[in-house]
Amino acid sequence: MAVNTIQPPGPAWTDPDIDMGHKLMAFERRARLIHALQVLVVWIVIVILLLFTLALLDFDPAYVLKHYSFVLQGMWVTIGVSLASIFFASILALMGALGRLSHNPVAQGISGFYVSLIRGTPLLIQIYIIYLGLPQIGGRLTALGYPQLGGLFILNELQAGILALSLNYGAYMTEIFRAGIQSISFGQSEAAAAIGMSSWQTMKRVILPQAVRVIIPDIGNQFIAMQKDSALVSIMGVWETTFRANRLARQESKFIEMLLLAALLYWLLTIVSSWLEGRLERRLAHAYER
Amino acid sequence: MQKISLALTVMVIASFVLGACGGGAPAEAADKLQEVKNRGVLIVSTDPAYPPQSELVENPTRASDTKCSSDQHTGDELRGFDIDTSKEIAKRLGVEACFVTPSWDLIIAGSWADRWDISVGSMTVTPERMEKLYFSLPYYTTPAAFFVHTDNTLTAPAELSGKTIGACTGCTYDFFLAGTLQIPGETMNYVVQNPVFKGYETDLNALQDLALGDAVRLDAVLTAQPTGAGAIADGMPLKQLGEPVYFEYLAAAIDKSAGKNPVPLADEVSKIIKAMHDDGTLLKLSQQYYGLDLTTAAEAFDLAALKQW
Repeated sequence: MAVNTIQPPGPAWTDPDIDMGHKLMAFERRARLIHALQVLVVWIVIVILLLFTLALLDFDPAYVLKHYSFVLQGMWVTIGVSLASIFFASILALMGALGRLSHNPVAQGISGFYVSLIRGTPLLIQIYIIYLGLPQIGGRLTALGYPQLGGLFILNELQAGILALSLNYGAYMTEIFRAGIQSISFGQSEAAAAIGMSSWQTMKRVILPQAVRVIIPDIGNQFIAMQKDSALVSIMGVWETTFRANRLARQESKFIEMLLLAALLYWLLTIVSSWLEGRLERRLAHAYER
Repeated sequence: MQKISLALTVMVIASFVLGACGGGAPAEAADKLQEVKNRGVLIVSTDPAYPPQSELVENPTRASDTKCSSDQHTGDELRGFDIDTSKEIAKRLGVEACFVTPSWDLIIAGSWADRWDISVGSMTVTPERMEKLYFSLPYYTTPAAFFVHTDNTLTAPAELSGKTIGACTGCTYDFFLAGTLQIPGETMNYVVQNPVFKGYETDLNALQDLALGDAVRLDAVLTAQPTGAGAIADGMPLKQLGEPVYFEYLAAAIDKSAGKNPVPLADEVSKIIKAMHDDGTLLKLSQQYYGLDLTTAAEAFDLAALKQW
């Protein structure tokens, strides 16, 4: 009995369905383009509606034009504070996540308590306590005869702000890092153990490099959130965007003008940050593309 | 793993140490005044949220030879009555004035941890604040005065007894009308007896009600003299009735819990402010920023009566 088998394609062979495939791809591309245009139209409509709403406000555009450059200078401080804080927060989060995942009760206890305490209290209150409270401990230590150690507790407004933001975001990011590490399949650590790696080697050479790819987009998200929370350090007198906008508003009672200006600047900053984060994310995905 | 986390911890701590060790005085000073003179810099706190006392200067030029550290602001970056007064105090101390700008809450909370030496921030002398801070001789005052409608024919505040008087609720004007106001170093003379008090959210609301007409809603409003003068300048049909009835004294303040004894600095600043009253410097600044004489009454303040030390 003869068996019909498909002939292996020769060099001149072409798929008879190739046209259909091309048509489908062209159709899908057009559908995506139309969809993107529709979304764009919705955005434009919303922006127009928003502008109409703003026109109802008592708004003086000339004041904004006159003073925007001074507020803009505060963006550098906002970016600097956010970058420094996300750096320290990532270190804290890595240590916190390793603590939460370790089998050591002390490490687990410390990191669990840290996450619970920091996530359970408002950032604004943490900033006040770090700025006002730590120096009192420092003063006590200095009085006890440890001026070197006491000096460590007296932070200026920038240091206190960066410490508070780092501690706060470190706690939230601990959970992100923990989830990222846990997302790497258990087979990976088993394989590492099978070739004789210690648990630290496994973490450093096998788990973390893979986990970073999962974690980076979330760090980006936290960074965007941080840029806006950094506005809180203005209460200590750091001349960042919010401080400058607020104090300029006071000069001629132009609050709406300056607040909207600050809001716009933060928005633009986060749009740029999201775009950069998207690029980074795509780049990290390269290795996994087929 | 322990080694690496230890190394990270050391790095984090070290980065804060490096930052914190920026402003050490070269020679060991005996008290706060000596410390300021050794440093060559008087660090003043001011919240630039209150024009015309203190506000930001846009696009300032920071002097290249300034002794202010990078997280402090030079006298060119701010302006106002408080700022000019601070600069003059620093000049007479033989040092440069540098400014930090914590919010008002953080200034009146005390426990400044020597982050700054003095507040020249139009702070009213109150018994509560005296628990945490030493006050200098006041450098100016906020006079409280009665304002009436231009149609009103009374001639002195005492004639307002029994009339309807508006003021902001819970502020010092409210307590004065109730006869319970206490201001350190001042003997109150409650010239108006048994007024009918009408409370408002802010002074401006009361002035607006008064502007509706004489005795329409209010017979008079008790408020700060500059506030009333501002309303008149804005075109409200009002006038001040007689002389101010009391003064709120606004002084420089110094943290009691400073690392070095702050009393000599407070003493020296009081002497400088006295001299600035005597040679007319403060009066000139008051005329420049308020168009009023708000300083003369401050000189008569009996600082010793506060019994601060």
